[in-house]
Amino acid sequence: MVQIAMNAAEARMRDTFTALMWSLSYPGRIHILPAAGQVAFEVVAEALVDLETSFYTPHPEFARAIGQLGARMHPPQSALYQFYPTLCEDDLVTLRMAPVGTYAYPDASATLVLGCNFDEGQRLRLRGPGVDGAIHLTVGALPTAFWALRAEMIRYPLGWDVFLVMNDWIVGLPRTTQVEVF
Amino acid sequence: MKLAELAAPRQDYSYGFLDAFAKRELRRRMLKAIAIPGYQVTYASRELPIARGWGTGGLQVTLSLAGPDDVLKVIDQGADDSVNAANLRRFIARMTGVATTTDACRATIIQSRHRVPEERLRERQALVLQVPDPEPLRHVEPNMSRAREMHADADYALMWLSLYEQLVRFKQFIGGASYPVMVHQRYLMSPSPIPRWDTPTLHQAPHLTLLSAGREKRLYAVPPYTDVYPIEFADVHFRVESQADRVCANTGAAHKYMDEVPQPDGTSLFRLSDTGYAEKLIKRLRGETVKIGPTYYDSNGEFYKPGYLKSRDGQDIEL
Repeated sequence: MVQIAMNAAEARMRDTFTALMWSLSYPGRIHILPAAGQVAFEVVAEALVDLETSFYTPHPEFARAIGQLGARMHPPQSALYQFYPTLCEDDLVTLRMAPVGTYAYPDASATLVLGCNFDEGQRLRLRGPGVDGAIHLTVGALPTAFWALRAEMIRYPLGWDVFLVMNDWIVGLPRTTQVEVF
Repeated sequence: MKLAELAAPRQDYSYGFLDAFAKRELRRRMLKAIAIPGYQVTYASRELPIARGWGTGGLQVTLSLAGPDDVLKVIDQGADDSVNAANLRRFIARMTGVATTTDACRATIIQSRHRVPEERLRERQALVLQVPDPEPLRHVEPNMSRAREMHADADYALMWLSLYEQLVRFKQFIGGASYPVMVHQRYLMSPSPIPRWDTPTLHQAPHLTLLSAGREKRLYAVPPYTDVYPIEFADVHFRVESQADRVCANTGAAHKYMDEVPQPDGTSLFRLSDTGYAEKLIKRLRGETVKIGPTYYDSNGEFYKPGYLKSRDGQDIEL
């Protein structure tokens, strides 16, 4: 009889993936990653990127950590997985370049993983697939212009998909989610 | 440090049968499919110990999704006990250590060939549908590249024309299972060959639906709480298969999706297609305590979302 055991790395990647999947399925709801802080970004990278994918991050140390997974660092205009543990106003210039896909291949678009704060900040109302009616969310530590930029870049089905991370909390915002700031 | 300390313990197979690269790729593609409801995402479908066309697409999704804390239900045309379902269930359980069940309410992952359970699925359940042909435009545009352009342009005129031709020639829509639907008002999608009876269950559902075609190497998704509407004209409506006057010979249930069993005398018996649900009804008839969830269609045949279906039992409903 075959006995299959899940090792620690497998369990971590699977737990990270289920957190990503359910957070994208239910935008605006908080899900839990198997690690917190800077390591949370590393486990997300571990679950998503390998030598078949490209990534970008403006943080050299983090870039080295992801590079060890075998992924290729690309410029922001072509990298499909982009990590910003802290997103500042200047980063919006590079974020604007992130690929949004094409009408034939809208999946050839960037997935952004952004550090943020859910304790205080801008109040958002979310609607769209995965949301039963509407849901409210508070998001801080992101440039105030980020939401306007996101709205500008999304021309459904083109657009980015965003994961917001604080400690071990993660929230997914697929391109289908309408975000209202108030 | 010794080499043995660095190496992982030897295993005959990777967890979930697929190697880490395959699982990671499938997972990446599943996330994109959820982000773009109804859009067909391509993926590198791997070789499995079953032939393509026997559920390899659904199997790969389930294997990359399942963990030891999951509870798995596998059905084939509603039946938990068919050869295909039993083999897939045993294989997945061996490769992942998941618990298995026939209870749709208890399962966290339901892999299905061509049916949605009668009991309503809830949040954080994943329904994995096996898909033989993911392309809804196939019969109007056999060229895959051209079909992709039509999806890109949301150019579904040929589908509407085909629907109109059906009305002209047959005075009704003749599409049976796999009736095309519009997802999130953007992509035309083939809901795998689930019967029309099950098509409305995808609309604004609390659960996640993942559809995967292993042979065609494409997967797509309907996230929870997403609009899914069958294509229809404003004055000629989509209709589900009428189950009126059909009563299950085993359980006495009515207004549920039935299998027809021909009899030697030329008549027919009917049995519930969903064997997990039938098993619960039989237990209740025996006086056993059993928890039965609310169903998509009530005992009068009314769908649980009032107003969604504009016709019933072959007749338009006065709205």
